[in-house]
Amino acid sequence: MLNSLFQSTTIPVLQEVINFAQLRHTTLAGNIANMDTPGYEFRDLSVEDFQERLQQAIVQRRQSPAVRSSGEPYHSPGELTAEISDVPHTILRHDRSNVELEQQVTEMVKNQMQHNMALSIMTNQFKLLQAAISGRA
Amino acid sequence: MFPAMDISTSALVAQRTRINAISSNVANVSTTHNERGERVPYQPKYVVFEADESIGAHGAAGVKVRSVETLDVEPRWKHEPNHPDAVQEGPHKGCVAYPDIDMMIEMTDAMQAVRAYEANLGTMEITKDLELQTLRILA
Repeated sequence: MLNSLFQSTTIPVLQEVINFAQLRHTTLAGNIANMDTPGYEFRDLSVEDFQERLQQAIVQRRQSPAVRSSGEPYHSPGELTAEISDVPHTILRHDRSNVELEQQVTEMVKNQMQHNMALSIMTNQFKLLQAAISGRA
Repeated sequence: MFPAMDISTSALVAQRTRINAISSNVANVSTTHNERGERVPYQPKYVVFEADESIGAHGAAGVKVRSVETLDVEPRWKHEPNHPDAVQEGPHKGCVAYPDIDMMIEMTDAMQAVRAYEANLGTMEITKDLELQTLRILA
């Protein structure tokens, strides 16, 4: 019963988005921490890859809704590992490090906004469920 | 979520170690004796960083101090015949050996370290915001 209750909302999807944003934030924090480390090449989690996989999972869920239980994640976070990104337009400095601070901070703030947006939508969905259960808004 | 805090903290510690080394270099710019009282000018110290994979998870890495290198450089000779440390004979007669520390480089390094420290503090603020917002689901 509870299972179908949550499955009818986008809460499980938002949960994945939030998990991903938190994991990506950790990776970006690592890049800023290693700003002055010689030989460090910046790492990132692919947003496109994540979104593609999430979309596939959503399509799959629509086709066979009863397969998953509500607590089961779409993918385990362990599958995602930060890779050294090969963005060509960065300058490789003399200490063989290519971390660009501005770029990393921008990515981090974008990630933060996405995270907080998913969270507010999730909070609203919980409120909606609460209203449905109690019968008053 | 918590590894992000640890990663930023590791960077704060590393940058502070670097600032300590720089402070030491600037403070000892005119030191003509080493810690054992021998007539050897102070040798500047430099901190080397290394990515620390043990702190982060899923490919994110912290940072740690790999080593503190002591630079064995030729001293800066200054002609001061009346100084008690002046060399009595040889090609540097009447000269005092001072550490060869470039103030410009030290100050630039210090500024860089401070900026990096600030950047990591900024990261911590964002981490805190993410955690706080997540906890607000409960409320």
